[in-house]
Amino acid sequence: MKPPKFRYVAPRTLDEAVEHLAADPDAKVLSGGQSLMPLLAMRLAAPSILVDLQHVPGLDGIEDQGSSVLIGAGVTHREIERSDVIAQRLPILSSAVVHIAHPQIRSRGTFGGSTAHADPSGEWPTVLLALGATMHAVGPRGRRTIEADDFFVGPFTSTLDEDEILTHVSVPTTRTAWSFQEAAVKRGDYGLALVAATGIPRDGQLAEARVSVGAAVGSVRRLTDVERLLSRGPVTDALAEEAALTAAASVDPISDIHGNSEYRRKLVASLVRRAVLELKNGA
Amino acid sequence: MKKLDKHQHMSTPAVAARSVGTRVLRSEDPRLLTGRGEFIADIDLPRQLHVAFVRSPVAHARITNIDLSAIRDADGVALAWSGKDVAAFCEGLVGEMAVEGCVPTTMPLLAGDEVLYVGEPVAVVVAESRYAAEDACELIDWDFEELPAVINMDAAAAGGPVANPQLPDNLGLNGGASFGDVSAAFDQAAQIVEGRFYTCRVSAAPMETRGVIADYEWASKTLRLWSNTQMPHYLKYMLTAYLGFPEQSVEVITPDTGGGFGMKAHVYPEEMLLPLLAREVGRPVKWIEDRRENLIAGAHAHEQYVDIAYALDAEGKITGVRTHALGDGGAYHMPPWSMAVEPWCAVVMTPTGIYDVPAAEYTYKAAATNKTPVGAYRGVGYMAGTFARECLADDAARALGMSPFDFRRHNVVREFPWTNPQGIVYQEGSWRQTIDALEEMVDYPAFLHRQAQLREQGRYIGLGLSCFVESSGESSATSLEHGLGDVYHDTATVRLNPNGTANVTIGLSAQGQGLATTMAQMAADTLGIKVEDVSVQTARSTDHAYGSGTIGSRGAVVAGGAVARAADVVREKVRQVAAHMLEAATDDIELVDGLASVKGVSDASVSIADVATAIYFDLDSWPKDFEPSLEATQAYDPSQAMFSNGGHAILVELEAETGFVRFEKIYSVEDCGTVINPNIVEGQIRGGVLQGIGASVFEELAYDESGQILTTTFLDYGLPTMDVAPPFEIHHLETPSSHSASGVKGMGESGLIAAPAAVLNAVNDALSPFGVVLRDLPLTPEKVLDAMSVATTASGPDEGL
Repeated sequence: MKPPKFRYVAPRTLDEAVEHLAADPDAKVLSGGQSLMPLLAMRLAAPSILVDLQHVPGLDGIEDQGSSVLIGAGVTHREIERSDVIAQRLPILSSAVVHIAHPQIRSRGTFGGSTAHADPSGEWPTVLLALGATMHAVGPRGRRTIEADDFFVGPFTSTLDEDEILTHVSVPTTRTAWSFQEAAVKRGDYGLALVAATGIPRDGQLAEARVSVGAAVGSVRRLTDVERLLSRGPVTDALAEEAALTAAASVDPISDIHGNSEYRRKLVASLVRRAVLELKNGA
Repeated sequence: MKKLDKHQHMSTPAVAARSVGTRVLRSEDPRLLTGRGEFIADIDLPRQLHVAFVRSPVAHARITNIDLSAIRDADGVALAWSGKDVAAFCEGLVGEMAVEGCVPTTMPLLAGDEVLYVGEPVAVVVAESRYAAEDACELIDWDFEELPAVINMDAAAAGGPVANPQLPDNLGLNGGASFGDVSAAFDQAAQIVEGRFYTCRVSAAPMETRGVIADYEWASKTLRLWSNTQMPHYLKYMLTAYLGFPEQSVEVITPDTGGGFGMKAHVYPEEMLLPLLAREVGRPVKWIEDRRENLIAGAHAHEQYVDIAYALDAEGKITGVRTHALGDGGAYHMPPWSMAVEPWCAVVMTPTGIYDVPAAEYTYKAAATNKTPVGAYRGVGYMAGTFARECLADDAARALGMSPFDFRRHNVVREFPWTNPQGIVYQEGSWRQTIDALEEMVDYPAFLHRQAQLREQGRYIGLGLSCFVESSGESSATSLEHGLGDVYHDTATVRLNPNGTANVTIGLSAQGQGLATTMAQMAADTLGIKVEDVSVQTARSTDHAYGSGTIGSRGAVVAGGAVARAADVVREKVRQVAAHMLEAATDDIELVDGLASVKGVSDASVSIADVATAIYFDLDSWPKDFEPSLEATQAYDPSQAMFSNGGHAILVELEAETGFVRFEKIYSVEDCGTVINPNIVEGQIRGGVLQGIGASVFEELAYDESGQILTTTFLDYGLPTMDVAPPFEIHHLETPSSHSASGVKGMGESGLIAAPAAVLNAVNDALSPFGVVLRDLPLTPEKVLDAMSVATTASGPDEGL
């Protein structure tokens, strides 16, 4: 389990990092190495050059900007776990972060790295989709923003171009009703199913609900049927039950050695039920 | 049954317990817990080269062409061999067991014309670094024709495509025996309960993987082999037998080892190859197994079906038991134990468990498949046997409408010595007391009340019971009494130093059991000195004490016996000199608490330290004709089989929304005779039970239809972690062995032997409102949720069930 040969650069500026990426289509960005290093060790990836972002300034920081929090791509999961700003303004992130692996890995792995990796069982893609976050990227063609809805497009696939770097994520703080649910056999395991749900409490109802599912499905996605259901009226136990049934009907879960499709369908239903009931209590 | 002749080394001295029985802190821990251990990966020799293996990516294929020239030309490569190259030195390792119906196999060091399982070594590369070796492995040029992959053991045993041409019937093992009138018991039974139980394929998954370093010095023909093996002396013997290295010039060195659990109690092709490679390249060679290799190519464990039936009379007594085990042995017999370790042990070792059953019949079969060979794993075979017996006991209790405690109490052996249907004598035990103790610990009536209350809230808790009897202190006698002829013995060397401290060397390598601590306790009490004045060296080199391997729950018993015997020889010397110094008779001298005293004379004593000093430096203190060596080496092998016993009760809750099994509490009762050190015994219980929980709920080495292994990292292979480990309540019973040193019995395997049955019984107890009984491990969330979905509505199971 030794990586194949690769070149390694540790640029000191974002521009320099982008140049390296633009110069070589087989270049890969190295952030915390949480996912990339195992892929290299298993020889499942063989990039020609690793562009290490650890010395690139400006990718750190958690900044409260009022209606949103701007999180640097280089912020580690552990920093999010310990951040007062996150705890107060985006408690759903605090709730989700403890499900990411173990403290040692959370101390290495980064928010931006996991987001850009777009692992369907990743906590951040699921949560950011439910929050409607905005991704900030930079590349040889300049800076741009990408909405979460347009960012996660498939398993391990985002709309970030090969030569672009995710620099920040802007996460709205207006969705004050929230729930994050993960079913994992053991602490730190990949989840068998993840559900994130958010909304804006308004007149005893839940407005602009967003519900996303991860892990149980081939790629992280929203459950728009469930969202529509939640906009119909006050959140009740009955509505939670209906949401669970709707969720079960609207997903086509994967099957693997950890659980077949039918099992995961039941799991998604259970997590949606739990999430909606939690929204009810929070709304 | 053949009985062992009693030899001199089978007796042990009587010793007054001082440190034995106390919670002496492990002397190993300050070093190991602060990162000062030296494990095999930490060892680097000057000029060493690194080894990597090309392993088969397919389950079964004929190799039509293999060309290593690109590998040999690669940067930094010193040597590359395929099967042809190595066959000239060694045709392979023979695996067989001297039991009825065992057909031997020869496992090549590198695959010959056929590869028989994914992960089988095909070629070996020696290079300047592990990186260079792994890069070169990718350059292999070979062609193969895929052959049918035999994956299912039932189909394999029934014939059809052949997994290994050396076993044309796909059977590595096929035999059985019957004791007492089993047919009559079943013909006259008021009721028969039966079931087929499955223990899934798992890995022992020691935290430290395997590793080998070989260094051959051509001028002196000296071979030094570092291996984290559990059987260094056996490995040394094999290096001579198979490879011809001169026995007197071979040293096997066992550094600190991070767990073995049986996986490291084999002789592997890698251990045979590295000495040959070192000799060929004239430089030391090192191979550290990575985790993927360990999960794929380290011996697998457990996979078998056990069909079991109890004949019950009108009173609910078991009058006969039939057990039929079918094991999936993988592609070869795993040397030296063979495929017999699972199905043979499952039915032959304690076929009646704790129950007074007069008639027993068993058959055992091992099917060859195109999977990794199955070998030993803590409590090998006993686990599956205990699992089937104890789960069927719960089925029987349910069928009779009895509590699981009452059914067991109704059938348990009460009088000792007890002779089982095979003629094996169980000298003593607290089998009934274990059941009583567990029932009291769990407060069964209170549990039933709580279970009923929670069910009304849609919550499902279950209590599972499992009682075991464990053959321990693996010995020549145990082997002979169970129909084998394996011969064991271990030695220990004890030396008393001039200041009255002692150094002890034992022949067993340690993998984390705390042997240096427990053996210091045994030596200290025998010599009458303080435990902190004893330093124990567990086997680090075959140049010192001899050992038959750290296996079969034999460390405390066998090393303990050898240490006590060797210390007793030294004690006699001390008594002789003390007697001379105190002008008393040797027979009147006792050594306790650092003093040599005349029995019954309160002020007539001399410190043991002074006696030791005198022996080294003061001729005047010597009696006539004295021989001053304060060093003795003695052997020990128990004179008869010995059995520890105990039980576990496990409390679980099934999560209705996810099917997850949550472990709330473990209650354990252990009787390993005299407890040398409760901390260490409790550590063994906790670790073993956790492994049992893993093997029941979280772990399975999964294969697809083509024989591809799907669980090659800890991402997919689910070892239990601390967050799923519940609190333990442990109760000790002490029924000393009639014949071991200080009355100790072995207990290192009991946790894993008995926990899986308790887990399944707990889950089935929790599932009882659903009318579903599970019998196959692992109890995945999917299986549990399926079971809970039977006859359920949104509000829970049908009330009618």
